Amino acid sequence: MSTTLALAKREIAGLFYSPIGYIVLAIYLLFVGLLFSLLVMQPGAVADPGPMFQWNHLILIFVVPFMTMSLFSEEYRSGRIETLRTSPITDFQLLMGKFLGAMGFYCVVIASSLIFIIILSLFGRPDYMTVLTSYLGLLLMGLLMVSIGLFFSACTQHQILAAMSSCVTLVALGILFQAISYFLGAALGVSWAWLRTLRHVLRYLAIEPHMANFSRGIVDSQNMIFFLTGAGLFLFLTYVVLESRKWR
Amino acid sequence: MSQPAEIVAEQLTKAYGRFLAVDNISFAVPKGMVVGFLGPNGAGKTTTIRMLTCFMPPTSGTASVAGFDVFHNSLSVRKNLGYLPENAPLYLEMRVVEYLQFRGRLRGMDRQSIKKRIDEVTELCWLSDRKRWPISKLSKGYRQRLGIADALLHNPPVLVLDEPTVGLDPSQIRETRKLIANLAGLHTVLLSTHILSEVELVCQKVIIIGRGKILAQGSPEELKQQCAQRGPGARLMLEIRGPADQIRSALAALPGVDQAKVVSDNAVCTVELAGKIDGAMREQIAALVQQRGWALREMRSAGASLEEFFVQITDPGAAAAA
Repeated sequence: MSTTLALAKREIAGLFYSPIGYIVLAIYLLFVGLLFSLLVMQPGAVADPGPMFQWNHLILIFVVPFMTMSLFSEEYRSGRIETLRTSPITDFQLLMGKFLGAMGFYCVVIASSLIFIIILSLFGRPDYMTVLTSYLGLLLMGLLMVSIGLFFSACTQHQILAAMSSCVTLVALGILFQAISYFLGAALGVSWAWLRTLRHVLRYLAIEPHMANFSRGIVDSQNMIFFLTGAGLFLFLTYVVLESRKWR
Repeated sequence: MSQPAEIVAEQLTKAYGRFLAVDNISFAVPKGMVVGFLGPNGAGKTTTIRMLTCFMPPTSGTASVAGFDVFHNSLSVRKNLGYLPENAPLYLEMRVVEYLQFRGRLRGMDRQSIKKRIDEVTELCWLSDRKRWPISKLSKGYRQRLGIADALLHNPPVLVLDEPTVGLDPSQIRETRKLIANLAGLHTVLLSTHILSEVELVCQKVIIIGRGKILAQGSPEELKQQCAQRGPGARLMLEIRGPADQIRSALAALPGVDQAKVVSDNAVCTVELAGKIDGAMREQIAALVQQRGWALREMRSAGASLEEFFVQITDPGAAAAA
């Protein structure tokens, strides 16, 4: 356990050292600030931070790939993977160390939006339980996003390739599937059963519907399971990739 | 009763597709010895080392380090191993102390022993004055030393060093070699290098690898003898002030001298003698030179060197043409 924590700690320190970390933080705060001032902080409106959390994923799907792109790619490129692999750590510890480190940084990023909640609380009385469930949702969503970023980083030594691949996957999960299911819904005059099934599947795989529940204060096991199993899947795939690279 | 060897490779093979980088090699490194692993580029040194350090699994064959099999007990091998890879990759943003603390924690050491060992290894590797420096500010020599310090941190019984002196300046090279030579006895060291003089100075045994196969094994003296028996053999280089052709014919006439060749002829001529040249012969030559009134300026042995042997066995074509 201490090895995993040592790895995680080093990873967070590394992310805070590189300028990418601060750029990620700045872009996130800018976007959330925009959401906040345009959607939430309206005179006479209810003090509901919901819209801020509901659309959070739109910026995160572009920003998380840049956060995670260097996790393994940089180790491959610099040759440090050799030092790591020949240390007395298991692949699992390496994987979890990197993942926890990235999640630690992700938590700092989303925690920075607390400033807006504080501002809101000065002017109104937001429902703090909803705020709590929203952050829980963001955390779970982060598990999925970071694990996707980690997977693609483990696949290649080129950071930009990892970033682009994660971005595409996250755009698919975050925007594309939802858009397709919406249009399918609109075009569902034709009663093709398989189209209806496809629509349901796509809607399930989309991130936003799950996140929406959390931002409304609903903690539904269906949503939790989606994020947890999704993260689990990608972490498992990352483990497989790490194992297989040994044999090349 | 003989000690089991610390590093054992048996029929170790690594294939990349159809290309055999390492072809059925077997060797043993006895406990407490410093052994040199020599070979031209692309010979399979780094691949063999990577298999021994559990970075990649062998295609076939077995290897064991400190009594643990590299495939089945990989974690135990790595716990007992200190490894310096080629080009010592480091985290440039960390400070020297931070990096060593990180590496210590990765190896499961507790805080007190990490602190103690950091002081000890930085002292040993001449890093004490740079402990708070960020690694990005260190020169190549210091980074190399940091890599060695990292390998020594947990006081492992086995050390594998891949080209530890590459990129260092002459004084750093000398100090590093002294450091490695001092490790013998308490540690078993496998040293991979191109630099032949390094091997002669530091190692008690040499393994020469070429094109994926082991070409020779033995102590430096044994290999030099093998060289003398195989090739042109021992030669004697003489620097004598005197008339070149007279010198040449006088020396060629000596019993035991197969060939005398004048290499250069200025005021002082350099003569190369080939043949059975032992101590008694050398005294005879010196006496002859003095008798004829010539001035003997230098007499040195050449040819039966590790370098000669290395060139011979790694590329027979080149040696024959020489």
